[in-house]
Amino acid sequence: MSTSRDDFGIVIRSALLQRGARQKFSLFALILLSIFIFVLDNSNLKPIKILRSLINDGIYRISAVSSSPIKFSGASKDFFVKHIFTYQENERLRKELEDLKSKDFQSSFLEAENNKLQDVLELEKKSPYSVVNAKVILDKNSPYLNSVIINKGSNAGIKLGMPVLNEGYLAGRIVEVNFVSSRILLLNDLNSRIPVVVSPSGTQAILSGIGKREPSLEYLPDNFMLSEKENIVFTSGKDGVLFPGIAVGKIVLEDNKKFVKLFADPDQINVVSVALKQQEDGGAR
Amino acid sequence: MAGQDKMALVLSKFKDSLFRLGPLILLIYICISEFHTQFYYWAIFSFNFQFIVIYYWILRDPDILGYGFVFICGFINDVVLSLPLGTSALSYLFVSLVAAYVRNATVRTSLFTDWFTFVIAVFIGNFIYFFLMNKFADAGIEYTTLFYNSLFTFILYPLFWSIFEVYKKITFARRND
Repeated sequence: MSTSRDDFGIVIRSALLQRGARQKFSLFALILLSIFIFVLDNSNLKPIKILRSLINDGIYRISAVSSSPIKFSGASKDFFVKHIFTYQENERLRKELEDLKSKDFQSSFLEAENNKLQDVLELEKKSPYSVVNAKVILDKNSPYLNSVIINKGSNAGIKLGMPVLNEGYLAGRIVEVNFVSSRILLLNDLNSRIPVVVSPSGTQAILSGIGKREPSLEYLPDNFMLSEKENIVFTSGKDGVLFPGIAVGKIVLEDNKKFVKLFADPDQINVVSVALKQQEDGGAR
Repeated sequence: MAGQDKMALVLSKFKDSLFRLGPLILLIYICISEFHTQFYYWAIFSFNFQFIVIYYWILRDPDILGYGFVFICGFINDVVLSLPLGTSALSYLFVSLVAAYVRNATVRTSLFTDWFTFVIAVFIGNFIYFFLMNKFADAGIEYTTLFYNSLFTFILYPLFWSIFEVYKKITFARRND
């Protein structure tokens, strides 16, 4: 019994301390170094934060360059797939065009009415947010994290918590800011929690990422009923960080559970706009 | 003529070095690039390719993959995935520790011995990751995701074991030519 324990001790000691011609460092030394770095990184000291920002910026750039073959192969695949489905897409678009034509008269009327009302209220017709446009340089998913890196950071005025839009729809929020890069936490990430309001009922809820493509709606009242019209989800701005009224997605039912089909597809985010501040006279979308 | 021979020799040595560095280049590349091991279309499927590469090469040919490089790859992975620095490095180093232990404790290894001891490596590696994230980071982890990740990493090991064995044989043959 004691012999086998001795053997175990000898073997584990040998594994931890052994070095060789190629093994310049022992495992024990590297484990200690890792623990030291982990403690330093968790200490939240300002010099360490600055150093981490610099390291992040450097590695993100290298990462973006090294990912170009993967991006190229992905783009090539998309190109071929799109060509294969061109006929089906053409049919679908033709039907959509007919639908849109029928709606055109109605929307013209609404547009005229809207312009008239805006004139009455003397509202300027401009974007409700002051934004910084940025390009996604790295999109590495892990089983535990859905986030992307953009090529703008504190140098462009980006700060923690700012909402990020993709084609005008909410895509996520800033969770890490470096000098020339930032990280966006996407809405479908496990750690994403956004206070939202459901239109047209005006019900408040929390949009929670579950690691899948479509986040779920939580904390809805027990008597909540879906409207017969489309149930659109907007940010409520209750957290005091995100601006209210940014369109997020529409509710879909799956096994009696309510999920949100995001307008900004987390898989297709290439260019984003970081909303720096809401224009004083700008309304919600 | 002598110059040409010298050139051919240098070229041959360069090719050999490149072959030997293959696993290291692969490990660095999967840590630093957008190499995806998780897919939305089949949400439960994800695996930890880094664990497989590290475990196999530390166990079978430690001269190819140094512990220092394993540490650096962990460090890079933490930066790219925005994890607290040192998390992946610790996780990878413990996987290396299990591999080094198995290498020192066993005389003859086969796919089955490698595969079943790999369970311990995956368990320890993911436990360290889970413990550090749970206690010190503000990120949520789903147990089922971690379980499926460990399961698929384990299931896929023989496939990559076979590929790496072929690669090792090719490298060995080149070295002895």
